[in-house]
Amino acid sequence: MANANPENKNLLTIKDLHTHFFTHEGIVKAVDGVSLEIDKGKTLSIVGESGCGKTMLSLSILRLIPEPPGRIVGGEIIFDGIDILKLSKKELRSIRGNRISMIFQEPMTSLNPVFTIGSQIAEAILLHQKSRASNKKQALQIAAKMLDLVGIARPEKRIHEYPHQMSGGMRQRVMIAMALSCRPDLLIADEPTTALDVTTQAQVLDLIQGLKDELNTSVIFVTHDLGIVGQTCDDVAVMYAGKVVEFAAAKDIFDNPLHPYTKGLMNSVPEPGDSAKNKRLTAIPGTVPGLKDMPQGCRFITRCNAKFDKCEEMPPETTLGNGRKVMCWWYV
Amino acid sequence: MITEQLLSIKHLKKSYEISSGLFRSSGIVNAVDGVDLDIFPNETLGLVGESGCGKSTLSRLILLLEKPDSGEIIFSGHDALKASTQELKALRRSMQIIFQDPFGSLNPRQKVLSIIEEPMRIHKTDTKENIRKRAYSLMDMVGLSIQMATRYPHEFSGGQRQRICIARALAINPRLIICDEPVSSLDVSIQAQILNLLTDLKNELGLSYLFISHDLSVVGYLSDRVVVMYRGRFVEIAAAKDIFSSPLHPYTKCLLDAVPTLKNKGKKIEVKPADTAHGMDYGCDFFARCSVSTDPCSQSKPVLEEKRPGHLAACFNKA
Repeated sequence: MANANPENKNLLTIKDLHTHFFTHEGIVKAVDGVSLEIDKGKTLSIVGESGCGKTMLSLSILRLIPEPPGRIVGGEIIFDGIDILKLSKKELRSIRGNRISMIFQEPMTSLNPVFTIGSQIAEAILLHQKSRASNKKQALQIAAKMLDLVGIARPEKRIHEYPHQMSGGMRQRVMIAMALSCRPDLLIADEPTTALDVTTQAQVLDLIQGLKDELNTSVIFVTHDLGIVGQTCDDVAVMYAGKVVEFAAAKDIFDNPLHPYTKGLMNSVPEPGDSAKNKRLTAIPGTVPGLKDMPQGCRFITRCNAKFDKCEEMPPETTLGNGRKVMCWWYV
Repeated sequence: MITEQLLSIKHLKKSYEISSGLFRSSGIVNAVDGVDLDIFPNETLGLVGESGCGKSTLSRLILLLEKPDSGEIIFSGHDALKASTQELKALRRSMQIIFQDPFGSLNPRQKVLSIIEEPMRIHKTDTKENIRKRAYSLMDMVGLSIQMATRYPHEFSGGQRQRICIARALAINPRLIICDEPVSSLDVSIQAQILNLLTDLKNELGLSYLFISHDLSVVGYLSDRVVVMYRGRFVEIAAAKDIFSSPLHPYTKCLLDAVPTLKNKGKKIEVKPADTAHGMDYGCDFFARCSVSTDPCSQSKPVLEEKRPGHLAACFNKA
């Protein structure tokens, strides 16, 4: 993945990132040596089950890890030439929301219940986009336009409503409108469409795609829906227990998944035409081990159906052709 | 079909009055607007539709948790709406529900064993010892280890909690289980485990499911027949494989197109947003969002009719 001219093409580089949580039962390695790169205008998706560190990785990029108990203990995050881990709080504020926006998973808890949604979106616009809106009235107009974009009817009325007056799907769309209103360089979307209907989801995906095309925004999509990954993403990083176990172009990963975990995820999803009558789903047995009681060696060893004696040791990251990386002894 | 229906619904209607707030002017919402439906023994019926289309209201009506404005609910030959309190209690034993949120539907202060025993205690199905025995065997049946019996819900993962909910639903030998988005809050790998479990239980115990979900691939996988609901009415009913291979109603097509897949990479999806379409007093409800509407669509409401053998749709367009 080495770029000839990283200054121009590359937007974000994460090098050997370690985010640990220090609890009284021991150290939890939520992000354990992750290296990733994302180019301008590209979409990277991070997939994996809950508890594998996806959200902690995306929070680390914005340095939003609750501290204590968490701390980024090692590695580098270079965003457009800036080392995010070395920034002061004030410098960080000029990047958060403005150049890197985030859509959180829970729209219910991410909105302030005592302010109207219009004023919450306007606040973000006034703070970060002074060139587009110099007063609250203009900002509210932009807010209404954004709400219209995410498919909320009668936006000029809705901006005066409070979060509790909206349904879950609508609140999620408000969050998306807010994140997009600042035209960020990098958008981190953590399960943004999980709570939405397929039709609304299609619109939101379209909207993010449109933003990408128009502003060359890069997107990090944290999701467990492989359909979304296939449709919208350029690259895929599969995470398991704090590590990226497979990295590849989206097409490659669907055509030919390598890591047993990736294969397991693919097989868990019924394909069109499959029926319970003629095909049993092959589920991955068990659940993600708690980050506190990790097995020795390969993290996936407890659930893997292709393990052999070598797997007692931690597998190294193997680089294959086409920028593809996999962490499994079968490919060493 | 010759087999007798387990559940038969006729012209069921339920409307809610909206007096203040968001839609101050509009007055009445027809959540379920005259639907007919049969569920046969050992059948999985999938119910799909966007949020707000009346799926949950319909399931609440079937469970007799709400009283319909008009219509009939016949459960294995008994008219459920005319039943006495005593009969009602017996009917309620025959149907159970599994909810979407396994975190919100278990009492955090109750131990797993007690949660599973509760429906049996309420319905006084057996002696105390036998109830306990059955609770253990139910735990085994849904794949929970018996050592977990004395734990509290917070000690379990999402998938395990959904297994507890399933065990509780099975406790009193229901014949119909309404599954309201039972896997949408779970990871795909865990989702597959639960779907396999539901399939096994159906085959073993001869259960019927009304499976509500917005995930069309899951509905297609599990269901024998699928019903598509829009604004309180059914717009299409057909065997699962027909719905997916040759949908007739434009709304069904639009739902299927909206599902992201690898094939659709970069494809723009033409779906008009839900909120912009308002229900109409006359004409097809889907008129405002439909891409193939013709003149009659704005004049009168299409009725559900058989377009192909066993494949019903409510649309004026020719199949």
